[in-house]
Order: sequence, then C-alpha cells, then structure tokens
Amino acid sequence: MLTFTLKRLVSGVILLVVVATATFFLAHAAIPDPTLGLLGSAATPEAQQALAAKIGTDRPVIVQFGDWIAGLFRGDLGDSWKNFQPVGAQIALKLPVTLSVVTAAVLLSAVLGGLLGVLAGLRPGTWIDKLVKAGAVILFALPGFWVALLLVMTFAVQLKWFPAVGYVQPQESVGGWLQSITLPAISLALGAVVMIAEQLRNAIIRADGLDYMRTLRSRGLPQWRIVVHLLRNSAPPSLTILALMFVGLLSGAIIVEQIFALPGIGPLTQASSQNGDIPMLLGITVVTVVFVVIINFLLDILLGWINPKARVK
Amino acid sequence: MKKALPGVALAAAAAFALTACTSGTDAPSDGDGGTSVHPLSIGNFLDVTSWDPSLADIGFDGPYLSAVYDPLLTIDGDGQPQPGLATDWEVSDDFTTITMNLRTDTEFSNGEAFNAEAAVKSLDYLKAGVRSQEAYQKVESFEAVDEDTIAIHLTQRDDTILYFMGLGRSYMMAPSAIDDGSLATAPVGSGPYTLGASSVPGAEYHFDKVADHWAAEDFPFDPLTISPLSDATAMLNGMEGGQFNLIYGDKTAMDLAPDNDWNVASGLSMWVGLQFSDRLGATEMGKPLGDVRVRQALNYAFNGQELVDTIGQGVGVATNQVFPADTPGYVKSLNDMYPANIEKAKQLLAEAGYADGFDVTMPMAPPFQPWQAIIEQTFGELGIGVTFKETDFMQYMSVAPEYPMFVAVIAMDGNPVATVERQIAKPQWYNPNPGVEAFPEIQAQIDTVFSAEPGDEQIAAIEKLNELVTEQAFFSVWSQSTNTYISTSEFEVTPVIGMMFPTLRQIEVVG
Repeated sequence: MLTFTLKRLVSGVILLVVVATATFFLAHAAIPDPTLGLLGSAATPEAQQALAAKIGTDRPVIVQFGDWIAGLFRGDLGDSWKNFQPVGAQIALKLPVTLSVVTAAVLLSAVLGGLLGVLAGLRPGTWIDKLVKAGAVILFALPGFWVALLLVMTFAVQLKWFPAVGYVQPQESVGGWLQSITLPAISLALGAVVMIAEQLRNAIIRADGLDYMRTLRSRGLPQWRIVVHLLRNSAPPSLTILALMFVGLLSGAIIVEQIFALPGIGPLTQASSQNGDIPMLLGITVVTVVFVVIINFLLDILLGWINPKARVK
Repeated sequence: MKKALPGVALAAAAAFALTACTSGTDAPSDGDGGTSVHPLSIGNFLDVTSWDPSLADIGFDGPYLSAVYDPLLTIDGDGQPQPGLATDWEVSDDFTTITMNLRTDTEFSNGEAFNAEAAVKSLDYLKAGVRSQEAYQKVESFEAVDEDTIAIHLTQRDDTILYFMGLGRSYMMAPSAIDDGSLATAPVGSGPYTLGASSVPGAEYHFDKVADHWAAEDFPFDPLTISPLSDATAMLNGMEGGQFNLIYGDKTAMDLAPDNDWNVASGLSMWVGLQFSDRLGATEMGKPLGDVRVRQALNYAFNGQELVDTIGQGVGVATNQVFPADTPGYVKSLNDMYPANIEKAKQLLAEAGYADGFDVTMPMAPPFQPWQAIIEQTFGELGIGVTFKETDFMQYMSVAPEYPMFVAVIAMDGNPVATVERQIAKPQWYNPNPGVEAFPEIQAQIDTVFSAEPGDEQIAAIEKLNELVTEQAFFSVWSQSTNTYISTSEFEVTPVIGMMFPTLRQIEVVG
C-alpha cells in the first residue's frame, strides 16, 4: 500500500509539473503582451512600461518561468497581474464556494442516483425502472443552464424560497449557506443523478445474473445481505463515474456559478482569461490538477476497499 | 479592456471650465428635518479591481471606491469637475499651475487628519500608480502651499487633468496606509462609508456608514451593499427577486422596467464602427485607405440606424462622430454628411481607382462577431474582399492596430478636450499612429484647440476640428452605444460618460 501511495504521489507531481509547464508557455504564447488587456483604456505607453516592470514581463519568458516554478515548489503561486494580490489567497477565498456546490451536487447525485439505481436494478421492467430510464433521456436532453434558469425563476423569483443570486458563508449562517447552494447544487446534480442511477441499474442487473448471486440466494441469505453483495460488485463503475463527475463538475460549475452569481472559481477563471491575468490562470490550473490527482487517489483507495480484486499489488 | 470593449460591458459632457467653482446637493430629509436613510443594494457588473486607488480602474470601480474614499474632485453628469475635498480651485494665467483649497473638517477612518500634506502624499502616490498615472502625465510636482492649500505644477498646459481627477483619479488615502502598502486589501480613506468586516470579497461588500462624514446627507444609503455579478441574467434575477435595487442593466431589463415600476437611466458610453489605423495608406494592404474617397465610401456604405435597430436592439444613437451625441464638440448637422448610399460608395471607390474593390484582412474576435456578417455583406457589394483573421479577445487589442482597419468599440469621454486627445491627436492602443501631421488643416486645428481659451472659444475650435475629421473620414463611426442602469422607483441614477458604472454621488433618492 505504501508503494502504491508513493507511486501515486510521484505520478501526481509529474502530472502537475507537466501540465503547469505546458500551461505557462501556452498562456505566454497566447498573450504576448498582457499590459494592454490589464490596463484597458488607461493603456498609455508609459503605463504599459510601468506595469510590465511591476509584473516582470519585461524579462525573458524563461526567466519568468524559472521564478514561477521555483515559487510553485515553495507553495507560492505569485501575485495576480490584475489586482497584485497573492494568487493563492484569492483562490483560497473562492475555492470553498465551488467545492461547497460541487460536493453538495456529488452527494445529491450519489444518494439519489444510488437509491434510484438500486430500486430500478432490483426491479427491472417495473414502473420505477421505466421512470429511471425515461428520466435519464429527458434530463440528459435538457441543457443544464436552462434547468438552472428554470429553478431560479420558479423557486427564487416567484416563490422566493431561495435567493436568486449570491452566496452566504457557512460561518455567517448555516441556514443561509444551505439556501444559497441548494439551487446551484440541484442544477449541477440533475444530470448526474440519472447517470449514476442508470449506471448502477445496469451493473446490478448484470451482477444479479451471475453464478455467485444464485449461490448466495440458494444459501437462504436475507435480501438485504444479497443487496450488500450486489452493491459491492456493482458500485465500482458508478464510483468511477462519480469521481470523474466531481472533476467534471468543477468545470461545469462555471456556468452555474455565473447564473447564480456565486463567487467561486468559475467567475475568477472567466475574469482572469478576459484580463490576461496569467498568474491567476496558472494558479487555478495547478489547484485543479491537484484536485484531479487527489480525487483519483481517493478513488483507487475506495475501489480497493470495496473490491479487494481491484487493489494494486 | 472592460471599458473599451463590449461583453465585458459594453457611456453628456460640457465645456471644461478651468475656473474656480463650488457646489453642493441637498439630501432628502424626513418630516422632522433629519435625513432619511434607504437601504441600497447594488448589482455591479464587475468586482472591484483593487481597493488601492492607484491600481483601480475607472470603469466599474466607481461605486466601490466612492464609498470608502473622498476624491479631491468629483464630476457631474455633464462631465464638469465639481468640488470634493477640494472646495475650489484656480488655474494660473499660463495654465501651468492649479491651486486648490481643501476642506479642513475631514479626517481619515484611522483618525489621521486630512490636510495639504496628506493630499500631496496621495497625489504623488497616484502619479506613480500603474493605472492612476494616466491623469498626471503632465504633472511636474505637487506642493503643499499651506495647511489647506495645494498647488499642482504642470510641465505644460493640461486641459484634461481636472476631468480625469473628477472621473476617479483623485481619491485621497490615509498617509500611513500608503506607507504600509496595505490599501489593496484594507482601504483607509475619508469616505462616507468604511468597508464592513462582514464583506465577502468577490461576492458581497458591506459598508458601514460614517455618521459624521462632512457630506453624510449626500449619502442616504444604509445599509449599503455592492455585489459584483458578471452575468446580466443573474443581475436581473436578483432584481426581480428583490435582492437588488440598482443594477447594471441590459435590453431585457429595460423591457421589464415599466411592469415593475423600475427607473431606467441610460448614458452614452462607446462608439462603434471601423477604426482606420492606416489612414495614411502607408502599408501595402492599407494603401486604399490613404485615399480620402475610399474612407468616405466606407462611411456611405454602412447604415448606422439599421445597425442600431438590429444588432443594438434599438438601443444606441446612430451617428458618424466620435464625440458623444448632444455634448460639446458634437455637431448634429454632421450626421447628414454620409447618408447610407451604397451607390455613392461605389462611385467614390471608382473615382479613387478601386472600381473592382480591393482585398483587405481584418482581425476578428468573439465580441465583434455580431458585426462580421454585415461587414462581409457590405464589403462584398463594394467588391472589397475581406479576410477575417480570427484571434481571441485578449489578443485583439494587441493585434488590431496592425491591420489597416478593424471593428472598434471604443470608450468615449464626456470631456471634449479629452476626446480630441484620445480619439484624434494622441497615440492610443487603438490609434498608435494618429498621423495628423499628414493633414495640415487638422493639425493646425488641433493646435488651435489646445491653445484656445477654455470655454466657448475652445468648444468652437473643437466643433471645427470635428467637422474636419468627419470630412476627412478619419473613422467610419456607425453608432454610439449606451450603459443602462435599472433601479427601483426610489432611486435615480445620473450616468456619466467615461464611467461604466457611476459613483455613489450619482445615485439619488427620489421616492
């Protein structure tokens, strides 16, 4: 297990350095002179020169890279070129918002999707199975942003049960926080719920027809124990999808955060792209890669725990 | 960028009076003679760039900064500088020294006194700031003459400095906060509010009212909240949901206003059209543009009103000028100079030797794509083969001036001298080579503008200059777009050209 963990860590660091390096050079090639975009209408030649000196773009790109990568290994993501504040601190302010919504969406997907998947899988051909299949088709066909707008119009603008926009920090009000992330989380989760349910349903139906299940039934095991065995063998594909979904939802959150005006990573990414704030974009990339590595790592551990055959020797 | 291009957001001026003046506005009061307060929750399009005024943008930062800082000068809806912490000012006869008298009853939120020394420290800091320095290009030095008087010494006459100071470049900061370098995160000004501890950066900023502020009655907003939301739909949802009572609006919000009893305020912001970056025809591809008849043909070719009706959804003003409509410098009769006439355009091209048109490459980025089809169609009718080189939004500003002409959405100024400087005479990112020296009559008129006595004489000179550049088809302007602000019935907003979102001083309680 230790070797497995170390190998995962090393490959994670290599992935981080490769992606960070590629992103650095791609961003600098795409935005050769960021001072115009950063200054906007205040972009006089003198101001451009002063800004270039302040942010260090008057130096060779390779020197800038050396400084940045050295900072990365010290845990310093540099300063934003737009507001000159530390990138790490700004991401740390935004990340909890995105993680709140994405985590809530993943939990919602796992619980609801799992429940529907099990029910449909255990009773194939019944109304609940047909409902899951029909729901999968309909919810997949609905654009996420449209669902989000529909939720806002109904539950925020008309019924006023939830705020239409904005985010409340949990330390300010737990109730307010839950209210502010509910609609965004539902918007993100709807598609995922049916995906998990469909996946789990199919896996259960497949596993239910295998020899070992017949053996278990012939031994007279109670139904709940049979379901536990079924789940242990059917869960891995759904868990893999859930993990991939977590990573996917991080980027999917951009649109939802915009619609609900949540101050998460999404608007920060969008604003940084428009401004040409390369250090901020690099910081967001690094943090995202770190999350991908962590999620995959945790997934491997979880799969190994659920199904010993999946453990890496 | 936000100020210059759409999608990021896509703004009446008056003569620039370099004379001493004073003013003040009355705040609404309740029946007992006390000032009534009104909760104000603003949905702004962008987050504050920086709480440090030297690093802040003018565009959308106005409401944030005007809450915590007092400026030396403010500006009114006509672009006229008005008193702030400077109670009055005087410009020397040679136009190179501006003397300002300061308020003596003000202190910063950390208890430090505001005086001439503090003002000079702030001004020196602003002059060195990467974004604020644009206002102080011709300043030689700032001097504390006495406890409540400062002098601004200029290297040469500058008819725009008071305008830029009033626009948002003269916020005064506590000297110790400048020394600490902490302004970007912990603003310390003498403004009508302080930044509340419960603010969530990037999400919602709460402000605590300063009860004994010298102009407290001008700021009857309490509580005051400003939330940045870069999505028009989200802002409208927040307005409909009752979370906001003032937002940066769009056409949809304007259409919903009558049914909701909302006030709508619109102000001109940007001109839209073709910028000729090679009007001298110095490059091989730009050669045709060196002929005034070709530039005039491109003015006749486009129907500005049609573009306002279709692409602008009826919002905007069709004009062929870079001076904001109905402000000093703008000449209404010039709008008749190039009525849409494709046949006339063809005739002019033929006279210039381009009866079969010519080929041109133009840059294109997503925010400008709404105009791509109409350019292709119009150029096609004229025989002009246009190839669009796709680029991204960020690169557009860098590469656009390298082409002979490009689709431009350029921020306008409420001050006509600033318009002369930034649109015609001085190099800017969108006009790196103004080339006015090749147009002796225009160059002479620019000199006349910069040497004329401020007031009617200067305005007349500017109008004459506008006539000349329009005759010479310096641009192919199609229209001027607007910024719109939607507020609940108790608030009224006065838009200011040059600001994408006005300061708190331009928000009034009317209900």
